Amino acid sequence: MKVKIENLVKRFSDNTAVDNFSCEIESGELIALLGPSGCGKSTMLNMLSGILMPTEGKIYFDDDDVTYLAPEKRGVGLVFQNYALYPHMTVLENICFPLEIQKVPKEERIARAKKMAELVHVETMLDRRPGQLSGGQQQRVAIARALVKTPRLLLLDEPLSNLDARLRIEMREEIRRIQQETGVTTIFVTHDQEEAMSISDHIVLMKKAVLQQYAAPQELYDEPMNSFVADFLGNPPINKTFGVMNRGKIVLDGGCEVAYPKAVDLDDGHRVILSMRAEAIVVEGPSEAMAEGVIEQTYVMGKEVLAFVKLGDFSVRAYIPAELQLTKGQTVKLSLKNKGVFVFDEETGERLK
Amino acid sequence: MEKFKANFKLSMVFVYILLIFGAIIMIFPFFWMITGAFKTTLEINLFPPVWIPSSFNLDNFKYALQAAPFARYFINSLIAMVGSVSVCTFTTILAAFAFSKLKFPGREVIFTLLLALMMVPFEMLVITNYQTVISWKIYDTVWALIIPFTSSIFYTYILKGFFDSVSDSLYYSARIDGCSNWKYLWRVLVPMAKPSLVTIILLNAISRWNSFLWPMIATINVSNRTLPFGLYAFVNEGGAKTELMLAASTITVLPMIILFLFARKNIVNGVARGGIKG
Repeated sequence: MKVKIENLVKRFSDNTAVDNFSCEIESGELIALLGPSGCGKSTMLNMLSGILMPTEGKIYFDDDDVTYLAPEKRGVGLVFQNYALYPHMTVLENICFPLEIQKVPKEERIARAKKMAELVHVETMLDRRPGQLSGGQQQRVAIARALVKTPRLLLLDEPLSNLDARLRIEMREEIRRIQQETGVTTIFVTHDQEEAMSISDHIVLMKKAVLQQYAAPQELYDEPMNSFVADFLGNPPINKTFGVMNRGKIVLDGGCEVAYPKAVDLDDGHRVILSMRAEAIVVEGPSEAMAEGVIEQTYVMGKEVLAFVKLGDFSVRAYIPAELQLTKGQTVKLSLKNKGVFVFDEETGERLK
Repeated sequence: MEKFKANFKLSMVFVYILLIFGAIIMIFPFFWMITGAFKTTLEINLFPPVWIPSSFNLDNFKYALQAAPFARYFINSLIAMVGSVSVCTFTTILAAFAFSKLKFPGREVIFTLLLALMMVPFEMLVITNYQTVISWKIYDTVWALIIPFTSSIFYTYILKGFFDSVSDSLYYSARIDGCSNWKYLWRVLVPMAKPSLVTIILLNAISRWNSFLWPMIATINVSNRTLPFGLYAFVNEGGAKTELMLAASTITVLPMIILFLFARKNIVNGVARGGIKG
């Protein structure tokens, strides 16, 4: 099912949680709602499920306007961060519950619940109670319960944040598998960029109530629309430096000149942010040097060395081949790749180059 | 280490002596009541006291039951208790749900006012309840023993505390599945609250069974008396036949002792958890 959101606004008494949000989600996709804590992503999810009513704007499921429709009429399945399983019911009873409410005959109910339990791999623990299951198993049961009524849209609120690191990787792959097997349009909320990057078809990146960019993970990483998006994605974090344009060169605060060819036509005196991914910085490479810096610190990581290089007032991370044998205090020539280097306007944060 | 062990043992001995002493104080009245119920008139008046009665026949019980309609009292007590406790439990569940999960204007204010009412002593309510009972024309009927006790702010407060502790995500989960408030309450919340509910029901049942002041005021005919009032009347009207009084007392407290033995764990847990007074 397609989801279309138009100019959605949610205001609480004194703050705006979601501001003028529009996007279109294609049928059958797995979408990550990504952003730092308090950016309005859970509010977004609650408006899609119908728990919260928006202040302004419209939500369409396919062509139906569901903006003010009661939650039970929307046909959504929702998995909460704490799973919200009923502790006094067995796994089977939990999965059956939504069908019981819909007055599905008992035999059909149990048959459908068992099929769903097989899909999420909890078919061997149908008689147990949630308290006797591990976090990952509870998560599976919660997903089965959300899916058993064959919803048009599956919503997952921070589905992995209550799990330990190893289970988290296992469960995110499971979510991907279950989503692909059922083909249900799925939206999940997360604040972990790696989680969002690894399994989703598209990412909705939000900051302070506002949609920043809606794109496929790789596009988000390669072509960030503003400096927030560039900062938010990537590990290690992107190197962020500030400077001013002077005769086609970027002069970083502290006096280091960077001759980045793509920035050559920017006006003199324009304050800019030069953001460089660590892997986009080439140290002592064959191509023409664009800047000079001093090695501050090196960390041997095996196949390569992570170096901190002083550029003006800024210390940037770069990878250097281990065989170069550079030491602290040495001056090196740097060049920048085309991919992974971005110039933003300092004032607005908008992408310039 | 050795010294520590010795100290530890010594302190444990001290603790146990205290506990045994406390237990004797608690148990002695029951012991005296039950053995006294089997003694003869002579045995009970002897000094120094006779600890163990010479025979364990049920004559005293027979006489006591003949001297006053204790069977009638027992049935009245049972009807009043079951009637008020079951209705009270129902209203408590509904009120606790409304105050905990439903959003309506003035919810907090109303609940605070209700809580403030708990400070009014029961002895004061007796006057207004008496007038109500008279004007409703249910004075000296079993209804007068049931209706004033069909709701309880205190138990509502206890249960609301439990409902508050249940995550709202369960509620929203159920709502998204199309579950109504009513169904959510009975299918999800009430089964989850079972331990709290059992405690509430037991404490309520005990206090109903033992209530004395109100039945004395609200009933007058012998046929409408409850056990505690009946016992009191028996003592006053029956003269100083101590062994018969003790037999009647034994009959009165026996159901509660049995209830306590079966539900001991729930009562103790409930009292420990909520700091509830008995």
